[in-house]
Amino acid sequence: MQRRYRSIPDLKIHETARALSFSDAALACKLTSMGFLPGARVEMVRQSPFGNAFYVKVDGVRMALRREEAASILLEI
Amino acid sequence: MSGSQRLPRIGVIGNPNSGKSTVFNHLTGLRQKTGNFPGVTVDIKEGNLRLPGGGEVTLVDFPGTYSLYPTSSDEKLVSAVLSDQKNEFFPDAVVYIADVNHLEKHLLLLTQLLDLQLPLVLALNMADMADELGIKVNVSRLSEKLGIPVVFVSGRTGDNMNRLVSEIEKLIPAIGNISRKAFFDMDATEKQVAEAVRLNLGENNPYRALQLAHHFEWLPFLNESDRATLATIVQTKNFVSLRAQVEETLARYDLFTPIVEDAIQQPQQFPDTPTDRIDAVLTHRIGGPFVFIAVMLVIFQAIFDWSAYPMDWIDNGFAELNTWLQQTLPDHWTTELLTDGILAGLAGILVFVPQITLLFLLITILEEVGYMARVVFLFDRIMRRFGMNGRSVVALIGGSACAVPAIMSSRTIGNWKERLITVLVTPFISCSARIPVYLVLIGMAVPRVRIGGIIGAQTLVFGAMYALGVAAALFAGWTLKRYLKTREPSFLAIELPVYRMPDWKNVGLTVWEKVSAFIIGAGKIILIVSIALWALSRFGPGDAIERAATKAQEEAAAAGLGEAETEDLTAQKKLEASWAGQMGKAFEPVIRPLGYDWKIGIGLLTSFAAREVFTGTLAILYNMGSSEADINDRSENEAKATLREKMQRETFSDTGQPVYTFATALSLLVFYALAMQCMSTLAVVRRETGSWKWALWQFISMTGLAWLAAWLVQIIFA
Repeated sequence: MQRRYRSIPDLKIHETARALSFSDAALACKLTSMGFLPGARVEMVRQSPFGNAFYVKVDGVRMALRREEAASILLEI
Repeated sequence: MSGSQRLPRIGVIGNPNSGKSTVFNHLTGLRQKTGNFPGVTVDIKEGNLRLPGGGEVTLVDFPGTYSLYPTSSDEKLVSAVLSDQKNEFFPDAVVYIADVNHLEKHLLLLTQLLDLQLPLVLALNMADMADELGIKVNVSRLSEKLGIPVVFVSGRTGDNMNRLVSEIEKLIPAIGNISRKAFFDMDATEKQVAEAVRLNLGENNPYRALQLAHHFEWLPFLNESDRATLATIVQTKNFVSLRAQVEETLARYDLFTPIVEDAIQQPQQFPDTPTDRIDAVLTHRIGGPFVFIAVMLVIFQAIFDWSAYPMDWIDNGFAELNTWLQQTLPDHWTTELLTDGILAGLAGILVFVPQITLLFLLITILEEVGYMARVVFLFDRIMRRFGMNGRSVVALIGGSACAVPAIMSSRTIGNWKERLITVLVTPFISCSARIPVYLVLIGMAVPRVRIGGIIGAQTLVFGAMYALGVAAALFAGWTLKRYLKTREPSFLAIELPVYRMPDWKNVGLTVWEKVSAFIIGAGKIILIVSIALWALSRFGPGDAIERAATKAQEEAAAAGLGEAETEDLTAQKKLEASWAGQMGKAFEPVIRPLGYDWKIGIGLLTSFAAREVFTGTLAILYNMGSSEADINDRSENEAKATLREKMQRETFSDTGQPVYTFATALSLLVFYALAMQCMSTLAVVRRETGSWKWALWQFISMTGLAWLAAWLVQIIFA
């Protein structure tokens, strides 16, 4: 079955997409309080040296997210 | 508050990276105090501020937090204080610091404070940077919409600080009589919950009542019956905390985003800034880790090499002062107390100051410029293998200076298990207190040769001691990960701030604060141990010392020894008969398998208070076994070599074998690298973990591991 959504780990380097919603409530609480809101423009900047984390820009603010965290952020197709 | 009336308390609150501490430091300067060391349970900085009208207030610096819905223990502290009006740190009014360049992300917490009905002033910080970026703010419109005074400031340049101070002064009459319209409209469930909390617990502020319902499970000031009441309220009203938190947060953004957009003009594009170019290298998949290693090597060089010069001055200065005092003052036990007890202790403390200052300086700079957040990003994966979090790296690096502040820095780790492991393994990292011990022992065991003509053998062993500490920390983390269980979520999600030149005033204050906390906290223990040790080795049970002296003189006369040798033998026998000698002898069976004699035993026993005492102890013990003439005549260079030479001459009294063989020195090195020998650390571990259980566990397992490893070394190399 083809997936109906994308999340941050699917972004290519320097690709930008709009965040739609968060699928993990605890993380949503943390991210929204940090100013990462649904509707934010997310740009993939690079992967961490050991591949398990992403360096992203959210509305121009730099942030590091783990793969699981990034995967819980659903993006506009 | 010793009788005098309590000054109004002004909380300094804001998000992480808002430049909050810079503003706090600017306002209070050196007039601040922190509870940082054993015995003090306070973790918040305070400082007094004189107002132009003659009054005075106490500023309280809270840890940076994004919201009243916390995910780590330093954030929890903010929520806990603000939910409890009886807390001694509860602010009467608040200065809210926001980074004007990211105002649309920094106002969430402010709007929560508005609903707590606290008198507020908003300080828009980093005005200097906003100018550069072309950001313009309509301050009066923002002030009108938020209903609070707004001041443009720069913590770095100090611009407009006097305006901020006069706004703080104007808050004072408003204390206790604020009643604004709630910024956030609670939904029906929230209103019912708040009302039920008001009726049952008497909390009249609806938003604070709601906070109690959100956080009742962990808020420290609630008693069991309050907790049960709140649990019932939450259950009967069908209140789902996490969902309500997210919805409230989003509703607040919807309310304040238009206000910010209306008041601020900023360039729409996010240009490719220097930060992006620097990060292209520093967080590069391959380059990043290499840069990190290079940075660590510079730090290593600093503690090993650069601080050697000031340490030598301090060492020599004390040696000269000691000699001078011994020659000038009358030959009496009070002189001995001064020179061998107090001065030896002071020297033991002050000799660390250069190293620890340099270390704290370098680490503070790395933090100030924003590099530490990148390190967290780079190493999160590796640290998770060992049961920790990327944030643990910051604690482990700090541990190379001193485990006490390093352990406290682990508060940013949200997950209980990862935080506990970080706290438990950080003391394995070789702290600056181990360096003098390493230096003496390496000097004895390892020849001054260069391997392949490049790197010194001694430097190599020194490096190996650090590697051993890191390896032990990771191994312990890996083991603990298997046995500790938690259901708490673990987060990385961290902001990577824009790189900035360090604010030197801020760096200076931070270093000063940490170094002075070290000198006072650890110094007290070292000084007490040093004096106690002197007394224990100077006096003995009954007339044991006199008898030992007489016996030694008889023996010397029988063997026909010269004057100097007689004196040596007498001092030696007197020491053996002293309280310290007795203790060492009693302890000897435990450490004999490791190849140590009773004198090392005394050194080890006293080291359990603080390991830096070891060199001082041996200096005291071996000085006592030598003649006056020797002490007074030696030149500077000889003075430094004396302790080492004396140690090399030592033999076991029963077998006559030399004590300090290569194997013994190596085994002692390993013991000192791994053993838990620091009361300050144990005290802070107890405080941070909430019980003696973990501190005790840490003490036993680290010291047990040290004994085993030291024993293995002795077997392999003997």
